Amino acid sequence: MRLAFWLYEGTALHGISRVTNSMKGVHTVYHAPQGDDYITATYSMLERTPDFPGLSISVVRGRDLAQGVSRLPSTLQQVDHHYHPDLTVIAPSCSTALLQEDLHQLAAHSGLPPEKILVYALNPFRVSENEAADGLFTELVKRYAAPHEKTALPSVNLLGFTSLGFHLRANLTSLRRMLQTLGITVNVVAPWGAGIEDLRKLPAAWLNIAPYREIGLTAAEYLAETFAMPAIYEAPIGVEPTLAWLRSVIENLNRTGAERGVPPITLPKLSAFSLDGLSAPSGVPWFARTADMESFSNKRAFVFGDATHTVAIVKFLRDELGMKIIGAGTYMERHADWVRKELEGYLPGALVVTDRFQDVAKIIDDEMPDLVCGTQMERHSCRKLDVPCMVICPPTHIENHLLGYYPFFGFDGSDVIADRVYLSCKLGLEKHLIDFFGDAGLEYEENGVAASPEPESFTGNGHIEPAVEVEKEAVALTEDGEMKWSDDAETMLKKVPFFVRKKVRKNTDTFARSIGESIVTVEVFRKAKESLGG
Amino acid sequence: MMQVSGDVQIIKEDNVTHSFCGLACVGWMYQKIKDSFFLILGTHTCAHFLQNALGMMIFAKPRFGIALMEEGDLSKNEPTLEEIIREIKADHNPSVIFLLSSCTPEVMKVDFKGLAHHLSTPDVPVLFVPASGLVYNFTQAEDSVLHALVPFCPQAPAGKKSVVFLGSVNDATADDLRAEAEELGIHVAGFLPESRFDKMPAIGPDTVLAPIQPYLSRVAVKLERERGARVLHSLFPFGPDGSRVFWEDLAREFGITIDLRDREKAAWEKIRSQTDLLKGKKVFLTADTMMELPLGRFLKSAGADVIECSSAYINKKFHARELEALAGVRVVEQPNFHRQLEDVKRLQPDLIVTSLMTANPFAGHGFVVKWSMEFMLMPIHSWSGVIPLANLFVSPLHRRSKLPAFDKEVWLEGVMPSAE
Repeated sequence: MRLAFWLYEGTALHGISRVTNSMKGVHTVYHAPQGDDYITATYSMLERTPDFPGLSISVVRGRDLAQGVSRLPSTLQQVDHHYHPDLTVIAPSCSTALLQEDLHQLAAHSGLPPEKILVYALNPFRVSENEAADGLFTELVKRYAAPHEKTALPSVNLLGFTSLGFHLRANLTSLRRMLQTLGITVNVVAPWGAGIEDLRKLPAAWLNIAPYREIGLTAAEYLAETFAMPAIYEAPIGVEPTLAWLRSVIENLNRTGAERGVPPITLPKLSAFSLDGLSAPSGVPWFARTADMESFSNKRAFVFGDATHTVAIVKFLRDELGMKIIGAGTYMERHADWVRKELEGYLPGALVVTDRFQDVAKIIDDEMPDLVCGTQMERHSCRKLDVPCMVICPPTHIENHLLGYYPFFGFDGSDVIADRVYLSCKLGLEKHLIDFFGDAGLEYEENGVAASPEPESFTGNGHIEPAVEVEKEAVALTEDGEMKWSDDAETMLKKVPFFVRKKVRKNTDTFARSIGESIVTVEVFRKAKESLGG
Repeated sequence: MMQVSGDVQIIKEDNVTHSFCGLACVGWMYQKIKDSFFLILGTHTCAHFLQNALGMMIFAKPRFGIALMEEGDLSKNEPTLEEIIREIKADHNPSVIFLLSSCTPEVMKVDFKGLAHHLSTPDVPVLFVPASGLVYNFTQAEDSVLHALVPFCPQAPAGKKSVVFLGSVNDATADDLRAEAEELGIHVAGFLPESRFDKMPAIGPDTVLAPIQPYLSRVAVKLERERGARVLHSLFPFGPDGSRVFWEDLAREFGITIDLRDREKAAWEKIRSQTDLLKGKKVFLTADTMMELPLGRFLKSAGADVIECSSAYINKKFHARELEALAGVRVVEQPNFHRQLEDVKRLQPDLIVTSLMTANPFAGHGFVVKWSMEFMLMPIHSWSGVIPLANLFVSPLHRRSKLPAFDKEVWLEGVMPSAE
């Protein structure tokens, strides 16, 4: 038992419904108490689904338990009657898993033919979001994928694209654009937008592309084993990884092409991949070489996220932008070994593996990096500390479901990521000017940051008073045992550039405490500056 | 079908609906009672619900948290929360800790009362709040919180008649209600809940309890039984009609006769442009927050054609006056959403008041919708709430009429993966 405030990974039910909500003609029935229906709101509000998500609850009430009544058979009948799904996935919730009911038997009582039902009775106390999603998707692929004649021309399946994924639609568009440029057809995207018939014809493709470590990989491995389908598991994030990915796609397809007597695909001039077809496909290589970006060599970055993005972003920051990596971590314990292996030689210390956001917040607080790449939670932790932060991976938030084209994959994605790094970090020449002249008339920024509370969720659009939260934040900062500062010392602190002020204050506090002072005076501040080299 | 009075009939269905469980009340209760901590004994599901659906991101030190039951905890006889309680006290120094139940420990038959008693100290009581989705929907657990607070309301001596308003509202609304009562010559003893644990109102035989939220029937009955307090059975103070009846009835309890018809008329006049728009409009309320009965009644008074008013829980006694006022309207308790969806498609309402789960999908089907949850987060009580209340209903209608024509085939293409 532990006290938890926030989770990186959602529940097994969330993983299951992410898969089924992605699919056509598939409904999920949770055998669960009323409250588990909150899941439906994540789709209807974050993804703004214009139709009803295929999710129903076979409601379990206290009274039903006392009377030994199960509403599962009748709920299944209702769902079949109203929505006519091709398949209904039945899943238990935390509380109903304890009842140890035989869901297979209950489902059979509905009278629905067994081929229209899939009982996915995993243990919700042991399995969480990504494992459940990956597991269910694999289960579906195993159930439906059937031997199929290969397509005449080179084709691929895109696997693991799932509802509520991080910048999912844009990533898909970016991959489609590149494949189109190479003249490669997409056979099936799954689970996103796929129906049962699509799953059946998965083996018609020449190659599987499963770029997410978390979801889709196991299904691709199964297809490799059972249908001898080659697969590419790398995520094309960053310019060099995208080039490597393109070469790998071409090489794999040409191998099959050679067997089938289809002429080989060649990599066209790279400008063919640009949005206008006339330019460099990405601005990153030149951007990284420009003079003002030299200051990036000294930027200290910390990365924390899921497995796929943590690996990709660490490599991108170091290899392509030339930044300094001071540490990295993941909340995906299942994939920690893979992350460690991938990041060998990139990290100065051990990979951080934790699902407690407080641990991550403490690292950021201790290190005060110049850039943090993390989840929404790190963004919050960083706001308190005034540390620049960009969000790089799930869990997704309303702000990750924007209308514009912001992929992370491919050449297009490299530009998006580089832009975000650039906008998050403090800038090159401007930084020198500010360092030299003090606040440089940019005082307003400090108040500006505090005064712009952001919408925190889909229900928080102005209703849950943000002012209250901001106030709380301010109170909490003084509660953190900070030192008192004399007025003169405060005035002196004001002369320090605004964006490092919090860091200087914190270092000075620590210094003052270490020399046994209880109040920071001008003298203590000067001593600290001398001792800390500030 | 049960008969209430006159021709009001309540149709009861099977509660296959879209809504939240009782834990949702943490969203507003922790902000209301400022020296409290809300501890939920629950699972990953409860934590994921709070962080997603209620959007409660952690800024500094949140005054709510989940004692997370993991697989290893399931085999233990009783959960051991001492360590967690110590952590909460050290970090938050609360005056009271509310211990909320959830589905999993309820299924495990955890003895919550015993647990809360065991964890309580004279300084910091730990109060059991039944909130699990096995029994409670959405707002109903506020009833449980207030229930738990009853022993901390001092006994008011007999003799001085005064009112205690029942239900959590924000401070500005509370000030309004207090001022209004005092102006009528009614002595106000306070609100249950007040915003501090040590400031809960005294309640006794000469207390009149005036419920200002429609989901608090159990605590009202408890106070009636245990303290001999009188519960005002009136309309809830929403809209010009509700406000007039509420204040007139409350004044009558104090032997004060007032006639607020002019005031009601003036209030209707102030929202004439809104009611002109609502007149004859077909409105459908699916069940969600349990505020549906008074909202439906206001709409009916405003001239709208309420084609269905559904609520997850209806109490024939506590809601009697609202039900009477809804005579002729189709009222459904614990509705079936699948049936509602078919009726909506058949009846083509002009406005649907519905949950977060179903609002956008209804909009996708071409309907004009209002989130039911907004009514809980806006100051819609009494006279000062009349305009905000009316605006909540007309704003989606206005907005829709201002937006350009919308061709579903074009603008919804590919928006939802599962759509055909």
